[in-house]
Amino acid sequence: MKVRVDPERCQGHTLCAMRAPEVFELSEIDGHSSPVSEDVPTDQEDAVVEAVRSCPERAIGVF
Amino acid sequence: MTAPDTSGDETRKQPRVHFDRHAPQYRDRFEEQTREFHSRCPLAWSDTYGGHWVAAGNRELLAFARAGQALSNDHDVHGERRGYQGISIPAPERGKGLRGGFLEMDPPEQRAYRNALNPYLSPAAVKRWIPFIDEVARACLDERIGSGRIDFVDDLANIVPAVFTLAMMGIPLKKWELYNEPAHAGVYTPPHSPEMARVVKAHMAMLRDIATTLQEVRAHPRPGLADALARLEIDGRTPSEEDLIGALALLIGGGFDTTTALTAHALDWLSRHPDERTRLNHDRDTLLDTATEEFLRYFTPAPGDARTVAEDCVIAGTDFKEGDRVWLSWAMANRDPQVFPDPDRVDLSRAGNRHTAFGLGIHRCIGSNVARTVFKRMLLQVLDRIPDFVCDPEGTVHYETIGVIQGMRHLPATFTPGPRLGPGLAETLETLQRACDEQGLAEPVTVRKAEAKIR
Repeated sequence: MKVRVDPERCQGHTLCAMRAPEVFELSEIDGHSSPVSEDVPTDQEDAVVEAVRSCPERAIGVF
Repeated sequence: MTAPDTSGDETRKQPRVHFDRHAPQYRDRFEEQTREFHSRCPLAWSDTYGGHWVAAGNRELLAFARAGQALSNDHDVHGERRGYQGISIPAPERGKGLRGGFLEMDPPEQRAYRNALNPYLSPAAVKRWIPFIDEVARACLDERIGSGRIDFVDDLANIVPAVFTLAMMGIPLKKWELYNEPAHAGVYTPPHSPEMARVVKAHMAMLRDIATTLQEVRAHPRPGLADALARLEIDGRTPSEEDLIGALALLIGGGFDTTTALTAHALDWLSRHPDERTRLNHDRDTLLDTATEEFLRYFTPAPGDARTVAEDCVIAGTDFKEGDRVWLSWAMANRDPQVFPDPDRVDLSRAGNRHTAFGLGIHRCIGSNVARTVFKRMLLQVLDRIPDFVCDPEGTVHYETIGVIQGMRHLPATFTPGPRLGPGLAETLETLQRACDEQGLAEPVTVRKAEAKIR
């Protein structure tokens, strides 16, 4: 599984990092999210799917 | 009042509802009316307050959040642009003639404000303050813990957000009461109330102190949000003093009453559901985050914002004309059954909770990390120190109307008394003021990374 955060859509709600803190890192400056790596570790896939479902802006995509 | 329709424009304004969120019965009818919106008309026209659209569905709100330049937040108080009315329906009497900071601005001006303030309010920035927040909450509980009685609004949830917001702004903590009264009473006092004259006077005193603060930080710089705004330049130009005061008043309004409302509602709910309170206390490592988001969803302290349509356009399948007013109901979208299974039930472990309590899009609440952190730190101390609290329904006073904030004026409770852990509030605020001054706690995270050291 791969994951991307659309930087235009992300507004820094931070819910993805609450659900999958090992996968998403938040900017120190404005709290906007980006994946630590595009490749999702197998044991994090469920958490990432839940993060996708939690994003109010629907900014996260998996493929 | 309305001229006979000869343009066919009225046929556009369908379906029609009667929506008056300022009516005193609105709070009691909220769930029933919200279900009607979701089942029949997630986007509808209401004739109330000069006529405006009401968006209640999550899908519809997301479409508005992505509409870009087709929507405006501008509040043109001096009639210099297109006369738009900003984010309130109707425009409030209080603070009339003052733009509501960057929430009533559009990009690129709005973005300049947010970029200047973000490094003070990001998750990393707020985390540094946790020992400070804990100490204020500790002192508030110590004031009451020997008596076995507390008013969660007056004695805790009003005080901690107020003191912390002033600390971040760089305003002396001892002034918290000067700001607290207008920040809350200005929201809950109905316009017709005989109390209104006093509230307006308190509001003016607050605005004067904000103006004084700006002058002080220019003359003798001290870190904080006020300093960030005093130094703000947009395209090489300094914003007007009036706009800066509006922005600081927005931070007060956003920082005070909203978190108070969330905390009061959550504590009241936990008192009514003692088994859930025990579960939250026991499983706090896994439940605190999800419970906080669920309380935000269910109670939605700031129920919505208005926008003005800035160009003829189609959004969520509906035709809009330039000048149309739209109410974006974050509160109703948070009960949308297409997004939230069993939406009128509080589920402390709810998954996929993509709530809109902080809004959506570029105007999303800039203080969301402050709100969450302050709420969680207060809640944890209540669970640690007075876990058997029982709220008194007879003494509970909700806001008479919840059109602006879904808040409470009073939430009295009793509990088994316990021991004090430290000094009272007045002495604590002096200690904390010294910590702010000596450690530069209100610097942005780009300047200071270290956590606050208290005692």
